[in-house]
Amino acid sequence: MSHTMTEKILARASGKESVKPGDEITARPDFVIAYDFPGYTDVFFKETREDFGISKVSSPERFVLFIDHMVPATAPKEEELHKITRAWGKEQGVPVYEREGIGHQVAAELGYATPGAFVVHFDGHVSQLGAFGSFAFGARKGVIESFVTENVTLTVPATVKVELVGTLQPGVMARDVFHHMVRVMGPASCRFKAVELCGPVIDQLSIEGRQTICGQAMFLGATTMLIAPDAKTMAYVAGRSKVDLAPVHPDADAVYERVVTIDVSSLEPIVVVPPSPANTRDLKDYVGVEVHTGYLGSCASGRLEDLRVAADVLRGRRIQPGFQLHVVPTSRAIMAAAAREGLIECLVEAGAFISSPSCDYCFGRIATMSDGQRAVSTGTLNTPGRMGSVDSEIYICNAAVVAASALEGRIADPRPYLAEAAAAAVGAAT
Amino acid sequence: MSLVNLRGRAAWIFEEDDYDIDLIIGVRNIKITDVTELAGLAMADYVPDFAGAVRKGDVLVGGHNFGYGHPHYPAMRAMRHLGIACVIAESFSPGFFRGEMSMGFPLVTCPGIRAAAVRGDELEVNFDSNEVRNRRTGKRLPLQPFSASERGMLDAGGLIPYLKARIAGSKETP
Repeated sequence: MSHTMTEKILARASGKESVKPGDEITARPDFVIAYDFPGYTDVFFKETREDFGISKVSSPERFVLFIDHMVPATAPKEEELHKITRAWGKEQGVPVYEREGIGHQVAAELGYATPGAFVVHFDGHVSQLGAFGSFAFGARKGVIESFVTENVTLTVPATVKVELVGTLQPGVMARDVFHHMVRVMGPASCRFKAVELCGPVIDQLSIEGRQTICGQAMFLGATTMLIAPDAKTMAYVAGRSKVDLAPVHPDADAVYERVVTIDVSSLEPIVVVPPSPANTRDLKDYVGVEVHTGYLGSCASGRLEDLRVAADVLRGRRIQPGFQLHVVPTSRAIMAAAAREGLIECLVEAGAFISSPSCDYCFGRIATMSDGQRAVSTGTLNTPGRMGSVDSEIYICNAAVVAASALEGRIADPRPYLAEAAAAAVGAAT
Repeated sequence: MSLVNLRGRAAWIFEEDDYDIDLIIGVRNIKITDVTELAGLAMADYVPDFAGAVRKGDVLVGGHNFGYGHPHYPAMRAMRHLGIACVIAESFSPGFFRGEMSMGFPLVTCPGIRAAAVRGDELEVNFDSNEVRNRRTGKRLPLQPFSASERGMLDAGGLIPYLKARIAGSKETP
């Protein structure tokens, strides 16, 4: 019998010989991950203790908590929530990481993204751990099950295999690839399915680019997305992995619900227009739209390659007067690496406002827009009101587009700037 | 407690596919925790006095992939507070589905429902025969049955009581 990655991981985690799509299983997560947020973690702690009378979670080494939202706190009650989280972690022997960066990224850096692992969180963007061959999904408040039992109940999803072929053009990034998948396949195309992503484009893509794509699985309707581990994956996880698991690969004759092949050779940069992440459009049709603010960051984007490409666009230039460009590296490690590369200096000199890692820009908790303002953003979502006033608009795009738009005060094509930077680099090398 | 069959008016038909439920209360309001306040805001961007028009037991009707986006909880908390008994939709987004079902709130997948109902129609949801009936037109549509754990969760009134019962049961029968 042949199996997909999902079926193999869930069979192991549920202690079964094999599972098939549609089976309802109770599986033991290798890791239970959460960030503290009112109504979620504080409630999980309370329910565990008061409703179930459990004073200590079983196998606390499987748990990890992040403080990445409401960082820094702007009201006493926010800091109060963080205190509750720290105290619970201490009492339970569960590590709490704060100010290290956005948890979904830091989880990978710390080794929770182990190939073959089964991971649960309440937030669906944890699917980005699938970039390392983990099955990681957001169970919403259902994650409480793993606090009060050892397990979580789920239905084994069928798998949609997506093969990305062709060659990416210069200036086209992982972010464009994902939103192109939504355009081609549809925002509901993978509902309740796992997506296995493969093909030469994925082989060529950096680990960071893979995280970007896998983390957005929910916008295809998918439960999660996975990429089979390769040499790049194994090099990344070596010395990090928190558990010793055999990496999982799909069988050559695994049964997929559907196989989709997408050639990305002619793909150009995209923009996702309000009010929904379902609305992928060609950037060229929106070039010139006036924008007032830009956000480069989030769990989806904001990694080194995003910062590098922004620096390539902005080097030696100044952003449009009055334009607000917020650059928020996804993690502290990424920020430090960017500093060592000189990227931070370059971005600051161009006029960017740089923040230590935080989730808060993505949902308008800070850098809040007012009526009539428009943003270019690498954040996750463009629902009206997500980054401030409901009468403001969010255009999702790749990091280079954010940078180029900051220079022009209008949605702009970064490719001329990138071509110039590439030519200068060649000139400098010769 | 057990899942009971439902009968209520369609308080709203969401025509949109991929509907983001945050829009029900407005994204600007999703940090509000007071359920009475949230209930008063429900659908304010669509129609005046939605709250006043809803009767206990009314239902919502949605399109394909209902709950797409980030499925925050305040919108359905508000709806439940107003007396909304369930959402019947063409299909649901998985995060939303899982999150609200764990609240003990039935999300009924019923292909064809959007075209088969108008606002105000009285709809019956029968979980024994697994069908939805529009009492005005007489039209019956099959609904997608729940899995065992989904049904268990709804019968128990939500994930917490369901887990409690399951844990208690496993202690009694080693």
